[in-house]
Amino acid sequence: VAAPRGARVIALAGNPNSGKTTLFNALTGLRQKVGNYPGVTVERKVGQARLLDGSDCTIIDLPGTYSLISRSPDERVAMEVLRGLREDTPAPDAVVVVVDASNLQRNLYLVSQLIELGMPLVVALNMTDIAARRGLHVSAEDLSRELGVPVVSMVGHRRRGVDELKAAIPQARVAMMPDWPIPAEMREELLLVGGGLAILDGSEGIACESVGLKPRADLAANPDQQRLDRYQAIAERLLVGDSASDLQVLSQREPVRSLLGSAQGRMQGLGIDAMQADIEAHYRWIEGVARRCTRLVDELAAMGVDAPPADPERPVRPTMSERADAILVHKIWGLLIFALIMASLFVSIFWLAAPIQDAVEGVVGWLGAKATAPLADGPLKALLEDGIFAGVGAVVVFLPQIALLFLFLAAMEDSGYLARAAFLMDRLLARVGLHGKSFIPLLSSFACAIPGILATRTIEDRRDRLATILVAPFMSCSARLPVYTLLIGAFFAAQGPLAQAGMMLALYAFGIIAAAVVAWIFRRSFLRGPTPSFILELPTYKIPQAAQVLRQVWTNSSEFLKKAGTIIFAMSVLLWAINYYPRLPEARVGEIEASVAAAPLASDAGTEGAARSYFEPPAELAGEAFAAAAAEARESEVSRLSAAAQREYSIAGRAGKLMEPVLTPLGYDWKIGVGLIGSFAAREVFVSTMAITYAAEDPEDGGSVSLAEAMQADRRPDGTLVWTPLIAVSVLVWFVLAMQCVSTVAVVRRETQSWGWPLFQLAYMNVLAYVICLAIYQVGSRIY
Amino acid sequence: MVGKAGKVSAVGGEPDLRRRLLEMGFCNGAQVQVVRKAPLGDPIEYKLRGYHLSLRAAQARHVSVQAD
Repeated sequence: VAAPRGARVIALAGNPNSGKTTLFNALTGLRQKVGNYPGVTVERKVGQARLLDGSDCTIIDLPGTYSLISRSPDERVAMEVLRGLREDTPAPDAVVVVVDASNLQRNLYLVSQLIELGMPLVVALNMTDIAARRGLHVSAEDLSRELGVPVVSMVGHRRRGVDELKAAIPQARVAMMPDWPIPAEMREELLLVGGGLAILDGSEGIACESVGLKPRADLAANPDQQRLDRYQAIAERLLVGDSASDLQVLSQREPVRSLLGSAQGRMQGLGIDAMQADIEAHYRWIEGVARRCTRLVDELAAMGVDAPPADPERPVRPTMSERADAILVHKIWGLLIFALIMASLFVSIFWLAAPIQDAVEGVVGWLGAKATAPLADGPLKALLEDGIFAGVGAVVVFLPQIALLFLFLAAMEDSGYLARAAFLMDRLLARVGLHGKSFIPLLSSFACAIPGILATRTIEDRRDRLATILVAPFMSCSARLPVYTLLIGAFFAAQGPLAQAGMMLALYAFGIIAAAVVAWIFRRSFLRGPTPSFILELPTYKIPQAAQVLRQVWTNSSEFLKKAGTIIFAMSVLLWAINYYPRLPEARVGEIEASVAAAPLASDAGTEGAARSYFEPPAELAGEAFAAAAAEARESEVSRLSAAAQREYSIAGRAGKLMEPVLTPLGYDWKIGVGLIGSFAAREVFVSTMAITYAAEDPEDGGSVSLAEAMQADRRPDGTLVWTPLIAVSVLVWFVLAMQCVSTVAVVRRETQSWGWPLFQLAYMNVLAYVICLAIYQVGSRIY
Repeated sequence: MVGKAGKVSAVGGEPDLRRRLLEMGFCNGAQVQVVRKAPLGDPIEYKLRGYHLSLRAAQARHVSVQAD
């Protein structure tokens, strides 16, 4: 979306849940671009809108915030964009601020901060339908008169008032600066500090010009007075503790620093806290404005427009949301309904997505086969088949799960239920230092850590979000399931199905416990912060809008494809290469061919420890048919054995052998090492890597000799078994704890905007896995 | 406790928390009502200025309320 040169730039501001996104979509249609602000995980949305006069304007959708005092990354970005301090975003010429009419007071607080900023404003008075349902009418005319800026009454999700808003944008005006009822003593200090700034300005690196507060031409006709007003405005921002980057610099400079310190000291002596006094003054003004602009609908109907003003603090009638919440967050019903919703979410991303994923994989595989069929065997064909098409497959195979998860998330967020889910679950997660909003990301991670980590976007606090991202991969994802099934089936079949199910459950539980313990430790060490804030608005319930939900699914899915997809794809090709190169010398293949040709049919011993009977001639075959069948069996045996030899000869195989000294203390041999390397593409690849390494048929292809049998029979050169139940347990625990999924690394890199966090996660999880598996083997083998 | 209402008489806590509480509308004199506790006992849902929000008990104790 190219911004036309010289087009008006409009920032769209508003509280969370004010319907800002709906409005942004209504204004810009499909002409929008979603990305990230560089360096922070704040979504950056810019679009183009055509106004009624035919002119185009650029609309910047600011992150939804309750305030503009820069504390959270969202608020900092919003503030910096508004003040024109960000190089990546054009400075806005005017602001459209979305106000939820059904929640007027708290929404007007943001408006009051925008008024202080001195930018031309238009108020979009949204959700007037919900206000009306509560029996409240907020008069746009009265509000416009109070604020001195255009106010447009609208119902965003029904597209009512959109054209009126477009018409009002060119009429944006700088609001009248209200006379905030701040304490007289504070006013004096503002005069003092303001005067001090006026004198100091321009000296020794003190430049008030660089502060992004607009001069308020509307207030005083006298230019000297204007100058003084501006210094006072800066003094006020400094005294109330605004930490936007421009003010931060100024407040740290001497003598401004001591000037501020002594002013704060004097006020403290009088029992005045500048920050509190400022906010309370804003709210006192807001209460007046709200009272003068709000009327009871019933009275309005009975008495006409001159109905007495309603007191917005008095409950009018129980709202639909309040009645719904009586059930939805009820002690028993609430938890039951929550469990039901979560179960259906889980089932759908776990099982519902599976056939779609299989179909996607099938289509990619079919396309790969079609595309490579005309090619001769060789590196190019292998690259296309096992590198590129498998890589594409590895990316798109996640799409059904991700799209489904985002569908659920968007619907829950849009309806207002997401906040209730966090409300219900917070207590449980707070114990380990997580957040109510961590619940859904963690639950989703049982299907796949990737959608889980993407779902952490709903957590505002950076530390809460990081803690959730760092422990999410401990949840046993669906890719671990084939590994669990293989190992439990191979080594614990004798214990009976009940014990097997118990083991499976124990592995899941172990992951959850690990996540809880690690989160607890992190929150008490480097992610330690001030009391994890959990101030959560419980917004009014709304029917989710299909268009909005689908748009969000589309945006998030395509963004995943673009950003994470490229890394996952590159990693898949890399993993293919280290498994493919260097090629096994022809001579070795010849040796294998010769040994197979020499071996009697129905032999019990293959090579390389793969004990198997590869051909049992059916009695009824004779003559030529027998010879053909025998040749075919020999041929497939050669290809299996050379694949196994190739695996050993490749970089991955050598790395596995190189890793052997590290793996021996765990009781693993190099073959398990190769399996672990292979599982970095995706954990379930462990199973097929094992199948190749053991020259067994992949169980999925319905092989004649099971991989489990081959593994059970495998012996080391000294005759001891490679796989004991103890080693199987150790490998299982490794799979629970270790971070071995490049796709997850790629997504964490993308979501944290740094390589530091994913590498730290990779390191700590694998070290943890190593230490625990070491302990299991060392202690276990002494007891046995 | 649930269902009780009153007016905010003081807001304490560390600056960041206090600022957020004030900005969300917990100013001196504001009318607040306890709506319910979460099923697990925490957090607690409040109604003020015509909207609902929830706080953990650890945060809510920084807001002093004079019962009506």
